[in-house]
Amino acid sequence: MLDVKEIDVYYGHAKVLHDVSLSVNQGEMTFVIGRNGAGKTTLLKTICGVRAPGKGSITYDGQEIAGVPAEKVARRGIRMVAQDKRVFGSLTVRGNIELAAYAANESVSKSVDKVVSLYPKLKDLLHLKASSLSGGQREILLIGRALVGEPKLLLIDEPTEGLAVVVIEDIFRILGEMKSRVSAVIVEQNLSIVSRLADRVFIMKEGKIEKTISEKAEIANTRELERYL
Amino acid sequence: MIQTLVQGLTIGGILYFVSVGLSLTFGTMKIVNFAHAAVYCLGIYLFITIMPLVGGMHPLALVIAMAAIVPFAYVVERYVIRRLYGESVDYTIIATYAVLLISTNVIKRVWGVQPQPVADPIGKFLDMGDATISVYRLSIVALAFLVFIGLSLFFSRSVVGKIVVAALDDNEGVRRLGLDVNRYFSIVFMLGSALAVLGGILYAPMTAVQPYMGFTILLLGFAVVIVGGMGNLNGTFFAAIGLGLVMAITGRFWSQAAETMVFIVMGIVLIFKPLETYGTSGK
Amino acid sequence: MSVSIEIPDKPGGAPALGGVIQSMGRDRTLLEMAIMTAVFLALWPVIGQHRVTDFMVFCILVLSFDLLYGYMGRLSFGHVLYYGTGGYMFSVFINYATPNPLLGMVVGIVAAMVVAMAVGLIVSRADGAPFSLTNLAFNQIGVFCALSAFAEWTKGDNGLPSTKMQPVWFLDFLQKPVNFWFSLFWLLLVFYFLKRLTRSPYGLLVRSIKEDESRVRFLGYNTFFYKWLTYVISCTLAGLAGVLITLNYTFVSPHAMDPNSNLDIIFASLLGGAGNLYGAIVGGILYQLIKNFLPMWVSDWEAFLGIVLLILVFNFRKGVTGFVVDRLAGRNAASMQPRGGEAR
Repeated sequence: MLDVKEIDVYYGHAKVLHDVSLSVNQGEMTFVIGRNGAGKTTLLKTICGVRAPGKGSITYDGQEIAGVPAEKVARRGIRMVAQDKRVFGSLTVRGNIELAAYAANESVSKSVDKVVSLYPKLKDLLHLKASSLSGGQREILLIGRALVGEPKLLLIDEPTEGLAVVVIEDIFRILGEMKSRVSAVIVEQNLSIVSRLADRVFIMKEGKIEKTISEKAEIANTRELERYL
Repeated sequence: MIQTLVQGLTIGGILYFVSVGLSLTFGTMKIVNFAHAAVYCLGIYLFITIMPLVGGMHPLALVIAMAAIVPFAYVVERYVIRRLYGESVDYTIIATYAVLLISTNVIKRVWGVQPQPVADPIGKFLDMGDATISVYRLSIVALAFLVFIGLSLFFSRSVVGKIVVAALDDNEGVRRLGLDVNRYFSIVFMLGSALAVLGGILYAPMTAVQPYMGFTILLLGFAVVIVGGMGNLNGTFFAAIGLGLVMAITGRFWSQAAETMVFIVMGIVLIFKPLETYGTSGK
Repeated sequence: MSVSIEIPDKPGGAPALGGVIQSMGRDRTLLEMAIMTAVFLALWPVIGQHRVTDFMVFCILVLSFDLLYGYMGRLSFGHVLYYGTGGYMFSVFINYATPNPLLGMVVGIVAAMVVAMAVGLIVSRADGAPFSLTNLAFNQIGVFCALSAFAEWTKGDNGLPSTKMQPVWFLDFLQKPVNFWFSLFWLLLVFYFLKRLTRSPYGLLVRSIKEDESRVRFLGYNTFFYKWLTYVISCTLAGLAGVLITLNYTFVSPHAMDPNSNLDIIFASLLGGAGNLYGAIVGGILYQLIKNFLPMWVSDWEAFLGIVLLILVFNFRKGVTGFVVDRLAGRNAASMQPRGGEAR
């Protein structure tokens, strides 16, 4: 359902992604791993429409989305959770979800219920200002917010980065629950999560996709994956 | 003493009306909008022209002028500011200044350079102790408070308001939800422009209406925004009142220094305020 | 991501400035200076000594502004503050201390420098919009000082004449041609100095700060210091221009610090092409020509200026020099543009 073909992406004069191609089938949960600076975030940002590729194409559900602005891409069912874990700090947790519901034309109560069912502890935090949430709570709020409106493709950038082990397990569980309902491209450094959840793994290095691993056995082998980091 | 206080609050109120638009535009679009002064000035002149057409009814002329300025503001936003989105802030500064130049010239052509007097629409006075306070000025202060409360409610309760607040926190995040932030910024821009015109029309009886009047008030407006924090709506209100009082108090002892004192306060604030929130260097 | 910006390895302290001396090279500077001299000499009989000197001083002003705006990317709306400070301190010195114009000149320049050092500490902490506006605010404060606060000395609105000045050696500034040669001398010197400066590692650093300040900081440089230093140099040169213009007119008034004049400078800089010295000179001359002669034909001067500014901002960002350079480089310029970027 997502087909990225040979895209080049530039920051000013600097070429950051070279001829990158990958594809995601319906219901697949794919992961992108690689060293810092490999271009993983840029890749996600280009797919979701925040950046435009200099050349190449990105097809989603049969339609070309390369260069289409982020808000239009989002309305077609692609959601992204960014690396910086930034929430709408001045709004309450409920307010954050409310905006997502408004944007997706879903009823607020339905959205709130959906997010709370993902992570029941969020129920007690609904009335708090989102800026007061911890890193882990924010990530969960962001993932929940992204799931409002039944998106078909989720792009998540380093969900477990900087989080405590307990919270990582929570996120692992949430991602596991999402697994068949939504297709995903997830950037992760935590290989334990990658090996347990991935249907396919893309390995990025210096702006290129170095290798794609689809074999279950290979993916489950964390030691092998480590070689690529 | 009371006279000075009321004067300060009145000026503060006017500054607030003018600065809200600037603060929002700073905060949402990260730009300096010199054309705000053009909108301000044009609105006042429109008001003066409309007044005799509605039989001198001040409030009616006020509302019509505010409404009439909105299309002009829209054109400026859509065809000048939005075209320079994401580019260096400098270009928007220069481009909006260019709009101000053109509009000032047009105003001079149409209405002439002579100052136009505008009368106090209420013309009544209260006796408070040994001071005579103009009811008109009190009503300005009251209106400022009302608008402040209204805006606070708008931004905390309405969806549009919340979207704008969210965009101030995380512009990209709002876009990635599927919302076209530009459209909301446009709404905010027009709202800010209408409020500036309100401030200008209210101020008109207390000052000389001439084609260059937008310039000074604009500088003061910027000072308010810097002191109060860009995009910080509460801050804008308190900064406006505060600086209004500074002007009134300074004016009492050394009248020409009133404006300069505002800039000095701004300079002092800049020395102490954390500057990470400012600046748009290449981001 | 792998991006490379060439920044010199950070040495200890601030010896990037030492690189200025090392960058002495063989280039066309002498030729360029000769051409400039020829241009101004040619203009002299056409528009008169007084005006030509004006043009040259204005070019110095635009050059100083371009260092700050074109090279370092910071737009100041209060540059004429220093122009006025130079002029006023010169005049005040002439009138109340000694009528020695060279000493007065030193006083004027040093005064501008000192003010720049102080204000620079405040404004260098800001960027973008707050930077522009804070400078404008200080400009206003300066106007206020000249107009009211120190009116006893500056004679407020009436302005301060400096006709009292006495000849020094062979320099009698009351003789008009002396002004021409003196200003030309300083223009060439400033041009040479800035050329060296911008070609040196320091200049590269300044341009890098414009591109991406945080990266430069990560390399270990104290960007605040360089921002401040550039500000001081730029404003001191503006002070020099202020002194020169006062010598030419033997008069200074608060009008010298009129904030609207900042726009003249910005316009000239954009028109000629920001970020290169030739652009500053070309823009300076062109703008002055336009400003002096066009109002004779166009009565709505301000609207005209505004419209041209808009056209410049939207279509001719790089100004005259940029346009010429692109043309000379042929179609290659266009095909080298990187495609893609922020999706709107």
